[in-house]
Amino acid sequence: MAPYRYGPPALKSSVDVQLQTAFSDGNWHTVIRLATKRASTLKDPYYEAIKVCAESQLDGTAEKCGALVAIDELVKNKKTPDLDTIELYEWACRDFFDYDVEYADTLGPLRARWAKANPSSPLAMQCLQACLERWDLVSAQQIATSLDKAHANTADRRYMFWNIILTYLLSISPQCTDASRKVYSLLAVRQLERAADLTENSEKLEPTDRGLLTEEEVCLYYRVLRSHGTKEDFISRVKSPKLGAIGQLKEGKKLLLCETLDTLETWGEWDLIYQLCREALSLGLDGGTTPFLVCDLQIWRKFAAAASKVADSESALGEVQTILNKYIEIKDTASAMYKKNLSLALLEATFRLPAAALNPNRDKTGLSPRVVQIGLFLDQYFERLSAFDDVKGYVAELGFDEIKTLMEDVLPKMLGEDVDKARKAVLNALESRLRYLLTTCPQTLSPQPSVVDGETQDKPFQCRLCDNPASIPCESCLKKILLDASKAYKEIRGDKELVDSIPRLDKDPRLDLALVMGTSLLKLSGLRPRTTDVIRPLWQTVDAGLFLQAVLLLDAQLKETPGDTELRLLLVQLYLLLGCASYAYQLWTPLDVKRTIQDALSPLFFDRISSLSPGLFHGTRPLMEPLRSFYSHNLGDRSPVRIWDAFSAGSYTSILDIVRYDGNLRRSCTVMMTLVEERRATRCYGGKIDVEIEEHFLTENIDDNTTLVNNTDYGPFPNLESTHGPPVHEYLRLGPGLSNERSHLAFLSEQYLDLLLYKPPKDYRPSKQTEVALRDREYTLETLSRLSNSLTDFLHQPTTPSRLTVAETTYYTVLSLLAAALLIALSTPRSDPVPKTLSLLTGSIKSAIASLRTDFFSLPSSPSTAASKMTPDKTTTITRKGGRLPGVSPSLTEMPTFAALRDAALAVRHSAAFVVAAHDRELARDRSGRSGVHRDVLAEMRALDAAAGKVLGEAKGHVQRLKEVLSEGGWLDRILELAFGGAENEEEGGREDEVARTVEEVIGGRGAAEEWAGRVVESWREGVKGWGMVKME
Amino acid sequence: MANFRRFRPDDLNKLSKCNLDPFTETYDLGFYLQYYAKWPSLFQVAEDQHGNIIGYIMGKLESSPDVYRFSEHYLPWHAHITAVTVAPEARRLGIGKLLTEQLEVAADANGAWFVDLFVRVSNHKAIAFYKSMGYSVFRVVKDYYGEHSTDPTLSSEDAYDMRKPMKRDVKRQHVRDDGEKHEVDPSVVW
Repeated sequence: MAPYRYGPPALKSSVDVQLQTAFSDGNWHTVIRLATKRASTLKDPYYEAIKVCAESQLDGTAEKCGALVAIDELVKNKKTPDLDTIELYEWACRDFFDYDVEYADTLGPLRARWAKANPSSPLAMQCLQACLERWDLVSAQQIATSLDKAHANTADRRYMFWNIILTYLLSISPQCTDASRKVYSLLAVRQLERAADLTENSEKLEPTDRGLLTEEEVCLYYRVLRSHGTKEDFISRVKSPKLGAIGQLKEGKKLLLCETLDTLETWGEWDLIYQLCREALSLGLDGGTTPFLVCDLQIWRKFAAAASKVADSESALGEVQTILNKYIEIKDTASAMYKKNLSLALLEATFRLPAAALNPNRDKTGLSPRVVQIGLFLDQYFERLSAFDDVKGYVAELGFDEIKTLMEDVLPKMLGEDVDKARKAVLNALESRLRYLLTTCPQTLSPQPSVVDGETQDKPFQCRLCDNPASIPCESCLKKILLDASKAYKEIRGDKELVDSIPRLDKDPRLDLALVMGTSLLKLSGLRPRTTDVIRPLWQTVDAGLFLQAVLLLDAQLKETPGDTELRLLLVQLYLLLGCASYAYQLWTPLDVKRTIQDALSPLFFDRISSLSPGLFHGTRPLMEPLRSFYSHNLGDRSPVRIWDAFSAGSYTSILDIVRYDGNLRRSCTVMMTLVEERRATRCYGGKIDVEIEEHFLTENIDDNTTLVNNTDYGPFPNLESTHGPPVHEYLRLGPGLSNERSHLAFLSEQYLDLLLYKPPKDYRPSKQTEVALRDREYTLETLSRLSNSLTDFLHQPTTPSRLTVAETTYYTVLSLLAAALLIALSTPRSDPVPKTLSLLTGSIKSAIASLRTDFFSLPSSPSTAASKMTPDKTTTITRKGGRLPGVSPSLTEMPTFAALRDAALAVRHSAAFVVAAHDRELARDRSGRSGVHRDVLAEMRALDAAAGKVLGEAKGHVQRLKEVLSEGGWLDRILELAFGGAENEEEGGREDEVARTVEEVIGGRGAAEEWAGRVVESWREGVKGWGMVKME
Repeated sequence: MANFRRFRPDDLNKLSKCNLDPFTETYDLGFYLQYYAKWPSLFQVAEDQHGNIIGYIMGKLESSPDVYRFSEHYLPWHAHITAVTVAPEARRLGIGKLLTEQLEVAADANGAWFVDLFVRVSNHKAIAFYKSMGYSVFRVVKDYYGEHSTDPTLSSEDAYDMRKPMKRDVKRQHVRDDGEKHEVDPSVVW
């Protein structure tokens, strides 16, 4: 940043000491007096500028704006002040640029003029930097052009490429007018084309030549060509011997090849991908590059995929095999990583071979080349932490016979005579994970007729692995996997020698087994992704006992392996689902999600947190302060972070990537989540919201047309599922993940509430009351109309229903209806009849709230249990008498619905109050009463208000009842009974519940679960305590 | 399982496998981007088949400021390894070594005299790893770290400044055999 950011600039050395001292001391009145004197004596406009800038430090509004007026005059008069004057003005106006003053309309053009007049001065570069740091691309591009002209054919090549890259950046920026966009696009491409031609046609390029010399320059050319050129030009150039991908690779430059392959893949240019991969990999064998330079899995995958898609795929795949075999011959010289890549490449190539090539005789054997390759791979790598992830995609592709062979022949024989217990335990854990994976693969199920022998079948499939009737997934397989895993788990735990050997392993096999058991229990409980089609509350959709057993088992495992982040994250999600936000927060905190990774990881805890547990915001440190400060720190300036560093270093691809990243960060759904969650929590406790959401600097460039980006990183979750179904994190979320649609709806809703809750400053006393009232009314109607339209548009987008929970859909619908209703209410003259639409709207609002109210208050008092939910059959029934949660307590997991109900009811009340207040203001202003709100409208609003008030009263009562219920005794027993069944259950046949008994054994008995149950209940109590303080009126 | 390529800022949304590991520091955005802006070829990543970053190395090329030119502690043009990390699931595959080698190639391509790095004297595993790659201790920087990694009773820990000569240093004038005997104060380390 320029030095004036932190203090006033140094005055010219020619300025006398007296004035210098007064200026540096901030003695502004003296500066004004002395500068005025010097200006009249010396006739130097610089002293006039000093005077204006000193005046801008005084308190008067007119004086403060003096520098702006002076700049405006200079811009309009096309004058070029000296750089010292510009620096002075920039310092004097520094605070204005964060508001409505555009650098591109003020100092940017002055700097551009100065640079144009003094292009050879080293200070011209400073002008470029200043414009870039204010992200004034128009002026920066002009300066870069001047610099380029002045420094053409010098050894410092940056001037030329600054000009080009800024022309390109301008062409893709909203700062560029539509009329100029095409010109700038063409200009950028043409300049680079010329440079590329020069390189292609020159024997040897000197630094002073205007060709493409460095990797950064070449890659910039291709990036611009991809964006603004034609596909044909790109393809033609990428094949060229000098500037093509292979030509660059021969010089050891790999970046272009990687970027080119990605581009060609998006275009489906498989022939060229095949050709480039073949040439690139052959270079490694022929000594054209270091042997393993391009031996990345991605290259092999693209090579194999392209070979399977080209015209003569059989011979192309043969070529892949040939090259691969040559690499395998030299693999002893490679590092372990490349050896593994080659093994995976072999797998990939085998899986891309057509079925006829793999099995020409169409033998019905399960021991196919694909199974053999998986077996060979696992034989080498099964002990590795990543072994499951490496093969799971391939295993999920196998046919049923192949699966049987892999699981029944290949894996059990893998260790042969090896008696190493630890290796056996690791293999066993891997096998357990693979068995779970197979329950998520459709080829393990075959459809079953809905009626067999005249009897209706309640399971649509037959499991091909266990032959039992099944739904998705097969419950009897899951149960068997769970029981086998628990057996293996207990065996490890009971073998001291084995336990002692665990630290030497890549991963504790008990952790894998616990994850298999936990996820199997979750699936058996009936847990499904909570999307819009899952409208029932948690306790109605899952078997409470199995769900709690899953949480308990995984929680117990976390005590054994507290450092495992996958397990910790899984539990954070499960506790959020269970309504235990404070405990989830305790588990979340040690993950130490801070600084840069917050944007991607914070949604895993903070999304919807204010609706689940607003009490969390009542801690000693503001809950979301780290996120807020991350965004303030990195998005406070308009320019992307470190952009000048990239310009200065001539890192052109870095410039483009940083600009793109910056754009995504500014449009991140996490930014909106941060703002909205904090505002909601603040309102819960009647706190003051500092700034309207639309005025917040983080939403500066967000409008309805902005696509907000979900950057959430689900990478750290354990995922045993195949790609045939949703990944595990979708099962665990409170609702659909962050999305453009939900973020916009939240943004618009907050704007609506800002409008309703706005209070003018106490000392605001407009002199022309009527005029101001009319303007206010106009603004209100315009805003309501805009919000109503936007909310409706987003709600009606085809993708929106799948992005929201039912409660969220209802809440945003209520707000959209309210905005429309208020528009009618405030725009209908008293003399006209009230449009019927209003009563339709208010009717819809009432029924929407009523439906939310019914959804929430009609929760069953007893969660479903195995006995009540699952249909008994001989193989899968888990019969047990379940415990029950008393009274209102099952709603503890449904607090986001409760929050939506409260928020919707409060929005209704605020809306009604807004209309009534508008009416009262009009009455006070215009005693005739003619301009007030229509009588019938007022009646409608009062009726709405009363209905909402009633709901809020019920909500308050509900929290009170929750508090009372949770303060009762016997909760530990209740939770444990719910999880495992009561004592009577044991006596009467509870022993039949093999799963519950097994889980008990794994966690170390029912006694060990008591402490856990205590934590669950305590967290519920804390959550309800927080809700007790929330304002309901 | 792994691809090696140059870092790009979008990778910051895929760092969790590395950065949720308690032994990996998460820096400010400006810190990562500074390296990517100034020395993109020295910021390399390894990614898994799902695009998760499972290892990365950040380095820079620089020399001491000119004012130190006549100081005995002046560092000529060299590459510095600022951070190298590998996710737990990707360890024991030589990814750290490959990343370091890639940085060394970039250092050679940019005419560096040597590559250097700092490591806690108690981090025997890392020291052995670097020694196996040709690095040697050049000097001991006393109390370089503000806390001790293994002994909570100590308020500081020394660092080894380790170096590996690059092709340019034909005469090996920027490394020494008895670096453990050369102790310096952190204030002279630039």
